[in-house]
Amino acid sequence: MSSELLEVQQLEKSFDSIRALADFSCSLRQGEILGLVGPNGAGKTTLFNIISGFLAPDSGEAMFHGTNFIGLPPHRIAVAGIARTFQNLRLVRQLSVLDNVLLSFRNQPGERLGNVFFRWKTSKEQEAANRKEAISLLEEAGLAEKAHDPAEDLSYGQQKLLSLVYCLAAKGDLLLLDEPVAGIAPEMIEKILGIIRDLPNKGKSVILIEHNLDAVMQVCDRVIFMDAGAKVSEGTPEDVRNDPRVIEAYID
Amino acid sequence: MEYLLHILILIGIYVILSVSLNLIAGYAGLLSIAHAAFYGVGAYVAALMALNLHSPFLVNVVCAVIFSGLLGALVGIPSLRIRDDYFVIATFAFQVIIFSVLNNWVSLTGGPMGLPGIPQPTFFGLKISSHVGFLLTIGFFCAVTLLITRRIVQSPFGRVLKAIREDEVFTQAAGKNIATYKVLVFVIGAGMAAVAGVMYAYYISFIDPTSFTVMESIFIISIVIIGGAGSLWGPVAGAVVLVLLPEILRFLGLPSSVAANVRQILYGGLLVAFMMWRPRGFLGKYAFQSGEASE
Amino acid sequence: MITQVLINGVIAASTWVLVALGFSLIYYTSRFFHFAHGAVFMAGAYFTLIFNMFLGIWLLPSMLLSIASSALLGCLMYLFIYHPLERRRASPLILMLSSLGIFIVVENIISLVFGNEIKIIRSGLVEEGFPLWGARITSVHILIVCVSVFLVVATGVLLRTTKVGKAMRAVANNRELAKVCGVESYRVILWSFIVGSALAGLAGVLMALDVHMSPAMGLNAIMMGVVVTIIGGIGSVPGVALAALLLGMAQHLGVWMIGSQWQDAIAFVILLVFLVFKPEGFMGKKIRKAVV
Repeated sequence: MSSELLEVQQLEKSFDSIRALADFSCSLRQGEILGLVGPNGAGKTTLFNIISGFLAPDSGEAMFHGTNFIGLPPHRIAVAGIARTFQNLRLVRQLSVLDNVLLSFRNQPGERLGNVFFRWKTSKEQEAANRKEAISLLEEAGLAEKAHDPAEDLSYGQQKLLSLVYCLAAKGDLLLLDEPVAGIAPEMIEKILGIIRDLPNKGKSVILIEHNLDAVMQVCDRVIFMDAGAKVSEGTPEDVRNDPRVIEAYID
Repeated sequence: MEYLLHILILIGIYVILSVSLNLIAGYAGLLSIAHAAFYGVGAYVAALMALNLHSPFLVNVVCAVIFSGLLGALVGIPSLRIRDDYFVIATFAFQVIIFSVLNNWVSLTGGPMGLPGIPQPTFFGLKISSHVGFLLTIGFFCAVTLLITRRIVQSPFGRVLKAIREDEVFTQAAGKNIATYKVLVFVIGAGMAAVAGVMYAYYISFIDPTSFTVMESIFIISIVIIGGAGSLWGPVAGAVVLVLLPEILRFLGLPSSVAANVRQILYGGLLVAFMMWRPRGFLGKYAFQSGEASE
Repeated sequence: MITQVLINGVIAASTWVLVALGFSLIYYTSRFFHFAHGAVFMAGAYFTLIFNMFLGIWLLPSMLLSIASSALLGCLMYLFIYHPLERRRASPLILMLSSLGIFIVVENIISLVFGNEIKIIRSGLVEEGFPLWGARITSVHILIVCVSVFLVVATGVLLRTTKVGKAMRAVANNRELAKVCGVESYRVILWSFIVGSALAGLAGVLMALDVHMSPAMGLNAIMMGVVVTIIGGIGSVPGVALAALLLGMAQHLGVWMIGSQWQDAIAFVILLVFLVFKPEGFMGKKIRKAVV
C-alpha cells in the first residue's frame, strides 16, 4: 500500500482526435499543495474532471488512499473526501450563501426522504449543527454578513471565496481548486491564498490549477508543468520556473 | 350553494394536482407533461378496486398512490439521461402511452365508455355522500398534501432539489446522488396526483379517459406556471384563478360550447403572456430559466 | 392485403415527413421545440376551407394561398413571440412552453370559429383509386407521395447548396461563430420558420384533401412530427425521411395486426426507446448531456 494520498498512473484521454491526456502520472502526499500549470488546453481541467469522476479516462488508474476509484460516479468520489471548484465558478445562484455551504456538507440525515418524515428531530439537530459550523466557516472567510443573501448577489471575488468555503464544508482530505484566484482583485487574492496556505495545517491536501504564476510560487510546495496532455516538468516552484523546457513551451 | 361547493371541490382537486406537479417541475426543475397520466391512473385504480373488489376507500387510496408512485419512478428515470427539453417530450410520450392504455384496453378499463357507478366512499366510518362531505374530505387531503410538500421543501432534501434545478454538476460534486432525488420526487408527485384522481373518481362517480389527456397535463402545468413555480402557495393561487375563470365566463352567460374554447384560449393566452413578461408566475420563485445552457 | 398496408404506410409517411421536415428545420436553427407547428398545420387546412369554400376561389390557387398564409402565420409567431423571448435570452423550456400556449390558443380559435365537426373539401368526384400491385391508390395519394418526395429532395438540396441553406447550417452548428462570419441568426431563423411553416401548411392542405379536417388534427400532427423528428435525427433530411417511412409502416402494420387504436402508443413507445437509448436519432449529431 502506498503512502501517497492520491496516485494517478498513466492516464490517457482523447476527444475525437485530440489527445487531452498523454500517459500522465503524478502523485500527491498528505499535506502537500501541488500546483498545476501550463498553457490552455494542456489537460489540467481534464485531469480534474477525471479525478472528480465527471469524465472517464480511456485508460490508466487513479488511487485515493490506496483504493482505485476510476469508474466511481462523481457523488461517490465527493463523499469519499475529494472536493472541487470549477473553472466557470459553479454555485447555486438562487440559493443563499449559507445554503450553498450547507449543501456541501456530506452525509446529512435530512437529505434522506425517510428521515425527513420519520426522523425529523434527528435531521433538524444535524441541520442546526451544520448551520453553526457553516456560519463559523463563513465568518472565518469574512462572508458571514452575506450569509442570507442569494449567492448571485456576491461579487465575482466573493463567489470564488465562497467556492473555497464550500470545499471546506465538505471536510474532505483533498481539494481540487480550478483557478481559485483568476480574475479577482489583489486583496481577495491575498485572502484566498492565505486560506489555501493554511490548509495543510488542517490536514488537507490541495491540487490547484492556476495561470497566476506569482500565486503558484507563493503557495505551492511542488509544481507540475503540463503541455499538450503530458507532464513536461515537475519539482519545486523554483525548479520548474527555471526549467528550460518550461521556458521553451511558453515561448512556443 | 351546491354549485359553490362543487367549484370548491374542483379547486381542491386542482390544488393537489398543481402542488404535486410543482414539487417535480417547480422545485426540482423537471418540467413534465405527464401529470394527467398519474391523475388518471390514480382514478382508475381506485375505481376498478371499488367496483370489482369492493375494497374500502382508504385501501383504494393507498393502492392508487403506490401504483401511481411506481409509474412516477418509471417516468422519472429517463430524466437521468436526457436533457430537459427532450425530457419534456419523453413525459409527453408517457402521457400519450398511458392515455392509450386507459382508452384502448377495453376489457380492463372500459375504454372510451369509462367506468360508471363508482360507489360512495366511507371515510373513517362516515359515509360521504353530500357535497359538504366531499369538500371536507378533499380539504383534508389538500392540507395533507400541503404539509408534506412544506416539510419536503424546507428540509435538506428539498434544498438538494433546488440545487439540482439550477446546477446538476455542482450538486453531484457536493456528494449528492441526483438520480435518487429525481426518481423520488417523481414518485411523491405522482402519488399525490393519484389522490386527486381517487377523489375525482369518487366525487363524479364516473370516469372516462377524456379527463386525463395531454391537454389536461398542459392545463395543470399552466396552473403551476401561472400561479408561480417553486413557491408553496403559487400553485394554490393558480388553481383558484384557473378554475374560477371559466366559471365566471359561464356566469356571464356564455353558452357552454363556446365557454370551453374561450376558457382554453384564456389559459393558453395567459401562459404565453406570463412566459413573455413574468415567467415565474404570480407568486413563483423559479422561472425555468437557469440550468445548463444548451449546446 | 399486405401491399395495401405498405402503401398506406408510405402515404402516411408522406404526410408526416412534410410536417416533420418543417419542425426539424425550425428546431435545427432555433434550438427549441415549436409545438405550435401543429397549429400551423391545422391552419393550412382551414385556410383552404376559407379560400375555397367561403371565398369561392378555385382549388389550386386556394391551396397556394393557404401555403403562403401558413408561412405568414409561422412568421408572425416568430416575430411577435419567439424572437422577443430570444432577445431576452429565454431558455428552450420557456420557448417550448410559450409554444404550447400558442398552440392552445390557435387550436381553440379554429374550434370556436369552425366548430368541432370534421369538414371536407370537395376536390371532385369521389374516387375509387387506381389499382397498384393488388392494392388501390387514389390520385390524391399519388399527389401526396410525389409532392413529398420532391420536397424532401428539394429541402436536402436547399440545405446543402443554397446560400440560405448554408447559413442555416452555420447557425445550427454554432450561432456565435456564424455571427462572427456575418451570418445573422435572426434572418436565418425567420427563413426556417417561413419554409417550415409553408411545409406544414402544405401538409395540412394535403391531409384536408385526402381525408378531412378537424380541430383535433393539430395535436395528432405535432405528435407525429415530434416522433419523426427525434427518431430521424435533427438536421438530417435523409434521417427524417427514413424515420417517417419507419413510422408510417410501423403504424399501419400495427393497425393491421392489432387494431387502429394503438397507433399513437406504438409511435410513442418507439420514440421513448430512441430518447433513452439513441436520442440523436438515426442520423443526428450526438446530443451530450451535462458538460463539465
